[in-house]
Amino acid sequence: MVDTTPVARAPAAADPGPLRPPWSARALIATGLLVAAVAVTWLTFWWIGLSPASLAAGLDDTARLLRRMWPPDLPGAGDVAGMVAETLLIAVAGTGLAALASVPLAFTAARTHRGPRWLRPAARVAVVLTRAVPTLAFAILFVRIFGLGPPAGALAVAVHSVGMIAKLLADVVEEADPVPAEAARACGAGEVQVAVSTVLPRVFPALTGIVLHRLDINIRASAVLGVVGAGGIGVALQTALGSLNYHRAAGIICVIVVLVLLLELLSVAVRRRTIRHLVRHGTIRRRAVRRRSRAGRSAGDPTGTAALPAGRAPHDVGWDRGRVLRVAGAVATGMVFLVSLWSLNPDPARLSGAWPNLRSVLTGMWPPAFSGHLLMAVLESLLMALGAAAVGAACGLVLALLTAVTTTPWRPLSAVVRVLLVVVRGVPDLVYALLFVAALGLGPFAGFLALWISSTALAAKFFADSLEQLDPLPHEALTSVGARRWQAFAAGIWPQFVPSFTGNGLFVADLALRESVVLGIAGAGGVGYLMQESIATLRYDTTAAIVIAIAVVVYAIETLARVARRHLL
Amino acid sequence: MAEEPATIGDPVLRLSDVGKGFHGTTVLDGVSLDVPQGQFVALTGPSGAGKSTLLRLVNGMHLPDSGTVHTLGENPAACSRSRLRALRARVGFVFQQFGLVGRLSALENVLMGSLATLRLPRYGVMSYPRALRIRAVEHLDRVGLADRRFQRCDTLSGGQQQRVAVARTLLQSPELILADEPVASLDPAASALVLETLKRISVEDGISVVCSLHQIQLALATADRVVALRGGRLVLDEPAAGLTAERLREVYETAGTRDAQAGARDAQAGARDG
Repeated sequence: MVDTTPVARAPAAADPGPLRPPWSARALIATGLLVAAVAVTWLTFWWIGLSPASLAAGLDDTARLLRRMWPPDLPGAGDVAGMVAETLLIAVAGTGLAALASVPLAFTAARTHRGPRWLRPAARVAVVLTRAVPTLAFAILFVRIFGLGPPAGALAVAVHSVGMIAKLLADVVEEADPVPAEAARACGAGEVQVAVSTVLPRVFPALTGIVLHRLDINIRASAVLGVVGAGGIGVALQTALGSLNYHRAAGIICVIVVLVLLLELLSVAVRRRTIRHLVRHGTIRRRAVRRRSRAGRSAGDPTGTAALPAGRAPHDVGWDRGRVLRVAGAVATGMVFLVSLWSLNPDPARLSGAWPNLRSVLTGMWPPAFSGHLLMAVLESLLMALGAAAVGAACGLVLALLTAVTTTPWRPLSAVVRVLLVVVRGVPDLVYALLFVAALGLGPFAGFLALWISSTALAAKFFADSLEQLDPLPHEALTSVGARRWQAFAAGIWPQFVPSFTGNGLFVADLALRESVVLGIAGAGGVGYLMQESIATLRYDTTAAIVIAIAVVVYAIETLARVARRHLL
Repeated sequence: MAEEPATIGDPVLRLSDVGKGFHGTTVLDGVSLDVPQGQFVALTGPSGAGKSTLLRLVNGMHLPDSGTVHTLGENPAACSRSRLRALRARVGFVFQQFGLVGRLSALENVLMGSLATLRLPRYGVMSYPRALRIRAVEHLDRVGLADRRFQRCDTLSGGQQQRVAVARTLLQSPELILADEPVASLDPAASALVLETLKRISVEDGISVVCSLHQIQLALATADRVVALRGGRLVLDEPAAGLTAERLREVYETAGTRDAQAGARDAQAGARDG
C-alpha cells in the first residue's frame, strides 16, 4: 500500500474530526464477557451462600483438618512403588489405546476426508462426545461393566483421550499441504494409501507431541481414578479417607504430589528438547531465533544441506545415530505399551462376563430420563465452575504479574510464586474436593473452593507464560516516553495481553466445567453425585440423561469460547 | 523541578569522554559530543559500532561506565526515578521496530506519548482527556495520517507505522528527539518520507534530532551534521554540507579486520544469491 498523502503541517484545525472511536465487535465482546463474568460470579456467591463470614469459617475448618492430617503417614516403600506403577501403567495403556484408535478417527473427522459422506459427521459426534464426558464419569460406568480394578480405569482413560487426540490431530491433518496427496492420487493411489503415505508422515511429529501431552494429563487423571474403584494410587487415598485415617491420606497425597511434580520436570525437559529439535529442522521459527539472526546478520553459518554421507550407497537408508535412536525409541515405546496392556491382566472370563452388563447398561439408557432435579444439579455444576473460574482468573492474573519476568516487581518473589504454583497444580482437583468435603461437609461450597484453587493456579501459569511472550518493545518505548510503571503496563502490555487473557480465561472456565462435573463424586456439589448414584441404583436412563446434559453444556461453553477467541484476536 | 533556562547555543546534549561496555566487551570508548539546539545530527557507522548504545545513554536507558552525559541540563546517571521519568518525557525516542502496540488504533498509540503528564494508567482512546485527543489528531495530521486514526496499527504499512511512532513522540512536546535506525526496516520511498518528516519537525519546531542511520546518501541529504562511530570510537564529526559520500564511505571500508571479513562474507553471500 503506497501512501501518497502529502505531508503538510496542519493549520490549527477548527474541527479535528471524530475523537471517539467507533464501537467495534471486539470491544463489545470484551465488555460483554467482563459483564457476564461479574454477573456469574455474583450468582455463584448467592447460590452457595458465600460470604466473608462463611469463607472465614470454612478456612478455619480447613485449617483444623490440616492439623489433624499432620504428620503425614507414608505407606511402605514397596506399597508406594506398587501403587505408583499401577497408576502409570493405567495411564500408558489408556493413552496407547487412545493413540491407536484416534488416528483413523482423526482422518475421518478431518475436513479433508474423502470417504463415504455419513462417516465424517459420525466421527465428529464420537470426538465431541468422548471429549465432553470426563474420564471419571467413564470410569464409574466401566467399573459397573467390567468390575473394580485397573482395566476399567485404563478403558476410561482411553475412551476420554480418543476425542482430544483425534480433534487436535484432525486440525493438523487439515493444515497439511494438499499437493502431495493430489500427486499420490494422480498416481492412482487409493484414499487410505494417500492418507498413510502422504499425510501420516507429516503429522507424525505432531501426533507424538499430542500423545505425550495427553499422557501427562492422563497420569494425573489416573492418580484419582481409584476414588471410584478403577485402580491406581487413588484406591489407597479413598480407603484412608473412608476410614478417617487422615495421617495416611496426607501421606498418599504427598506421594501423588511428588509423582506429579516429577512428571512436570520430565515434561518440561521433553518439551524443551522437542522445541530445539523443531527449531533446528526449521519446522518452527521462534521469535528469539529470528531476533538473534537479525542481530548477527553476517555471523550465521550456511547450514549444511547435507547430501549423502560419504560411503553410503544411494539406495541404502543407512544407520546413523539419529536413526538408531529413533528406531530404538519406537521399539521401547511399543514394548512399554505392550507391558502395560499385559499388566492390566485382561481375563477372558471377566470380559465375557462384561458382555451382559454392557448390554443391560446400553438398553437401560434408552430413553434418557431428564428431570428438573437433574437440570438443577447441572446448573449447580455450571455455576460452581464459572464462578470459580472467574474468581480464579482474577487471582491468577495478580499471581501471573508477580511471576512473569517482564512484570515481576522482584525476581526472587517470582521464583517463590512459581514453585508454589507448580506444587498447588500438582494436587488433583478431586483431592482438594475430598479435603474440603472432609473439612466443611457435603455441598457446592467445597466444590467451589476446590475449583477456585485449581483455577487460580492454572490461570496464573497460563497468564505468566503468555505475558512473557509479548513484544517487549512497546513497553520499552513507553518507558522512554516517561510513563510510570503502571501506565507502561496498561498501555504497552495490557492491550497486547487482552486476547490471551480472554482466551486462557475461557479455557480455564472450560476445564473447570469438566472438573466440576466430577467433583460431585466426592460429594462436593453438582451433577457428579447424581451420576454416581444413578449408576449405583441401576437407573441408567438417568445416567444417559446426565451424560447428554454434560456433553451439551461442555460443548456449548467450548463453542462460546472458540467464537469469542476468534473475534478477539 | 529546576528547569534550567536553555540559552541559545547552549548544547541540549553533551557527552564527555563516555565509555560503556557489556559483559566485558567495550561498546563505547571515550566518546565526546556536543549537540546544539535545533541541529539535525546523523549518527553513522557499521553495525555494532555503538550507535544504539550511545542513544540509550542519552535518555538514561543505559548508564555510562565512565565519563558523563548531560541531556537538557540533567545527568541521567544522577537522576532519581521520578526525575529520570521527567527527563524522558522531554526526550523523544523513535525505535527501528516502531514500538507500537499492533492491536490498538493509531490514535491510541499516539496518545501514549502523553502518559508522563497523566497520573493513572490508561486503556482505550476515551480514557484520555479530550484536549489530548485533539492534539494527538493534530500530530497525526502533521505526519499525514489523520484519516487513519482509528485503524489498527498492525494493518498499517511499515512507513505509516513509523510515522505514527513519530507522532507519538511529538505528543511529548520533546526538546530533543533520538531516533535509532528509524528507517532501517523501511523501503526507500517510506524511508525518505519518514526522514523528511523528522527533518521538517526539527526545522519548524527548532528541535534537535540525533538519528542513527545506515544509508550514507540519506544521512548526507537530511542531516546538518554527520558523526561517525567505529568500534566504539568517534572517527568523524563534520558538517554535512562539505562532506562527500566517498569520504564517509571510507569510515565503513577502513573498518577493522573483523568487520572487513564480515563484509567479504556478505559480498560472497550476495554473489551466491545473485
